[in-house]
Amino acid sequence: MSDSSIDSLREQFGRELASAASEADLRAIRDRYLSRKGGLLSALLKALGTAAASERPRLGQLANTLKKEIEQQLDERIAAAASTRAPRGAVDITLPGRRPAVGHSHPLSILRERIESIFTRMGFLVIEGPELEDDYHNFEALNMPPEHPARDMQDTLYLSSPMRSSAGSPATLLRTHTSGMQIRYMETHEPPVRLIAPGRVYRRDNLDLTHTPMFTQVEGLVVGEHVALSDLKGTLDVFVRELFGQERKVRFRPSFFPYTEPSAEVDISCAACGGNGCGMCKRTGWIEILGSGMVHPAVFESVGYDPEKYTGFAFGMGIERIALLKWGVEDIRLFYENDLRFLEQFPQ
Amino acid sequence: MRIVHEWLAELVDVPADVEVIAHEISLRGFELAAVEHGVIDFEITANRPDCLSHLGIAREASVIWGGALKPRPSGRVESDSVIPVRIEAPDLCPRYSAQLFDVTVGPSPSWLVRRLEAVGVRPINNIVDVTNYVMLEIGQPMHAFDLDKLQGAELVIRRARAGETLRTLDGVDRALDPEMLVIADAQRPVAIGGVMGGANSEISESTRRMVLESAYFHPPSVRRTSKRLALKTEASTRFERGADIEAPLEGLARAAALLEKIGAATAHATRDVYPSPRRPLEVSLRGSRIARVLGTVVPEDDVPRILSRLGFLVTGQDASWQVTVPSYRVDVTREIDLIEEVGRHHGFDRIPVTFPPLDVPQAVPDPRIERDGKIRRAMTAAGFSESMTFAFVERAAALPFCRPGVEPAAIENPLSEKFAVLRPSLLPGLLDSCSHNRRRGRKDVRLFESGSRFGPSGERRAVAFAWAGERTPGHWSTQPAPVDFFDVKGTAELLADVLGAGPLDFSTSAAPFLVRGRSADVGTRGYPVGSVGLLDPAIATARGFPASEEIYVGEIDLDALASVVDAAELRTHALPKFPAIVRDVSILVAQALPAAAVRGTIRSAAPALLESLVEFDRYQGKGVPEGRMSLSLRLTFRSSERTLTDDEVEAAMSTIVEALKGAHGAERR
Ligand SMILES: [Zn+2]
Repeated sequence: MSDSSIDSLREQFGRELASAASEADLRAIRDRYLSRKGGLLSALLKALGTAAASERPRLGQLANTLKKEIEQQLDERIAAAASTRAPRGAVDITLPGRRPAVGHSHPLSILRERIESIFTRMGFLVIEGPELEDDYHNFEALNMPPEHPARDMQDTLYLSSPMRSSAGSPATLLRTHTSGMQIRYMETHEPPVRLIAPGRVYRRDNLDLTHTPMFTQVEGLVVGEHVALSDLKGTLDVFVRELFGQERKVRFRPSFFPYTEPSAEVDISCAACGGNGCGMCKRTGWIEILGSGMVHPAVFESVGYDPEKYTGFAFGMGIERIALLKWGVEDIRLFYENDLRFLEQFPQ
Repeated sequence: MRIVHEWLAELVDVPADVEVIAHEISLRGFELAAVEHGVIDFEITANRPDCLSHLGIAREASVIWGGALKPRPSGRVESDSVIPVRIEAPDLCPRYSAQLFDVTVGPSPSWLVRRLEAVGVRPINNIVDVTNYVMLEIGQPMHAFDLDKLQGAELVIRRARAGETLRTLDGVDRALDPEMLVIADAQRPVAIGGVMGGANSEISESTRRMVLESAYFHPPSVRRTSKRLALKTEASTRFERGADIEAPLEGLARAAALLEKIGAATAHATRDVYPSPRRPLEVSLRGSRIARVLGTVVPEDDVPRILSRLGFLVTGQDASWQVTVPSYRVDVTREIDLIEEVGRHHGFDRIPVTFPPLDVPQAVPDPRIERDGKIRRAMTAAGFSESMTFAFVERAAALPFCRPGVEPAAIENPLSEKFAVLRPSLLPGLLDSCSHNRRRGRKDVRLFESGSRFGPSGERRAVAFAWAGERTPGHWSTQPAPVDFFDVKGTAELLADVLGAGPLDFSTSAAPFLVRGRSADVGTRGYPVGSVGLLDPAIATARGFPASEEIYVGEIDLDALASVVDAAELRTHALPKFPAIVRDVSILVAQALPAAAVRGTIRSAAPALLESLVEFDRYQGKGVPEGRMSLSLRLTFRSSERTLTDDEVEAAMSTIVEALKGAHGAERR
């Protein structure tokens, strides 16, 4: 035994440690070097006897130093390897998770609920009513007697034979608006009235990018002793800006509906161009979203309200149109095809 | 209505450029369709026939810019009785005026042609062009007859006779009926009153003498006739909305002036038949009412100013006025109509923004709204996406879902065959939506819809669902398993739970659209509420769904379910104080024996200590004799008063096994 055999064993260990790739390799090295029986260091120490007696203490110290170095290095490497070893039962956390099947609400429901919640917070009652109607509740009570030219504004679908509506009354047509529900409500309740009436309505319109023969409407009605056009402006101003964003501007333009007077169309400033005019808004900077007005006294007369005592306002909107604007949907028919690739873009 | 800027400027001073004019007028209730080349296209609402003319728009402009209307050149109107005119139907024609002219028919001068073309009216000849010009200027429709083509020089305004026909100027032969008003000569109709003239008396190159008609026709009559003949003209549009009954003579005078100016005609005698002249309408207007409706005080001077510029005659003081309505304002009959005029010209942008007082708490919303919300949350959580489909479908798509011998409710005037009947069920729409998704490569489809359906008992609310493809979303760890009956049965039970409708009963279904043996009728408390099961593949393939794949469906009548829902307030049970003992039992019984029969036998044999029982395995095959099945049940026993002993439970189990043996020949495995 000599200094050189100690050095060469150190070098050999260094090489083997460097090339060890796994915890198993390290344990094999430990066995080879440190095993009590037949380990390379045991052999080295045994060979101490062959050295000159004067050299033994020094060489023995060197060999022990080497043994400690090897032990320490192996312990460190093995501990390091063990810390990265997968624990028992470990899984590949990068595989896909098992998600419960989850469906999606229809965008028109999402929007309808949103609109209902805005109005509910403003103290509005939400009512529902029949989709089949009679001529009286759909037209006549709304200041549209037979032969009234405004009936042309709403091309009506008629039933071949009368049918019982969900209100229990005989019906002859598919309602063209939800106003009939407001008439029914006023027939059975005294003012004050503050309600919205959402629901599906029907018009004899061909299917195209912006029309469907069935669509969803939300109408509103407020009646009291002191309700003015300024209140209509205030209410719809709050609604429009809550729905579309506080930065949007709202404009009221005189218009005509048989059941309101004065009547107003409500425009919002175009988001696409910020009101400067673009293709979206037909270069006007404004987009029409609502029809509204003060309830016509003839409507109050038909439900037995005193038009001298009570005033009120009403409004109505098609929510498909609002959904198109709000979410950038380009084809209204998507709302009725139920293509899951479309529906899944909306939250549960 | 297209308004030509220079034409408007002839009627009233408009000190603004064309864009500004268009914008300002549009803010008074005339929606702007387009402005180009000095022509402004306004949409005129149905209540304002007076604005289907330059004069009507000029009156609006005179309020905005304050200029008075300028005088319009007009010719002489001399009344005599040269032309015999006889009104036999004064209810349909309250006024008929006519004037004789000697004419030289030819093309119109270029200025006249240009104006007509700017408005989109095709020039024809100087006579017809002048009648159109007058209509576009002052709103009075007119019609010219060739006097020499009349058979008997008289005009009779009467109802058509049964069987009469007339070839109108557009070359179409029209069958007339006694509800239609015609202008006739001594022999036959020569025009349909207020709608279109006849070819038999048309002005032509050779016309030498003309009768020019300027009349007022009853709006509902013109509307009915125009609708029945499917013939809408510039004249019928104005008459059906209401023309100006005081305008016929002005129309003739204006036409005479123009015809003479362009050298087309010499005016002769005029005849005006107007048996009961209109009495002017007076309406009171209160400043206090204006403020109450608009929510703002309009300056007292502004009210008479606005109204008189529009042609109303206003008297009175102290914010209380008497207003005489001009004959052309057929939309104004009561105070609110005047308030609208004031409001619209005061400007909606000047009305403040306020909020209606809330004086009573709000009532409870319609329970159906909360119900729809519950259904939506439960169904989306169960993996179904919400659909919306049209309430009308093809008859062929509806028929399989109708009870045999029942026709779906038809629509009288459907847009097309695709929308011919009201849906008797929500399933045809869902089926089409499933096919739509399947055609786009989507195999796993879960959809639901809640809405109205229409059957023999009328309009009812329902919820329906359809499920095709896998039971669970695909995952690398799981074998795919297709949806089956028990998935839709469970969905129906989930819905009943969510809606508080208690346990459902399932019985063999005879629904014609479901596959027998894999479908069930659903009831609760003895009332039928719907059905679930495998959709008949013949129905699915007819709507484009692949024949090799299955769609399971269900539909629940929400109105029927609502009628049995228990409205009682919820009461909780105390949690059990003593432990339960659980026993499993496996029995061999006939394969066709329903599990419900086994359950019933156990329930009636067991002591009250049996808390619950549930099937946990069903097996047929190796180790089980042919025609038998092995059914395993888990029974839970518990007392509310003490801890049960094994002996008690063993005794109960023996009684139960004996009962199963007796009732079903069951062997314990
Ligand atoms: Zn824009």
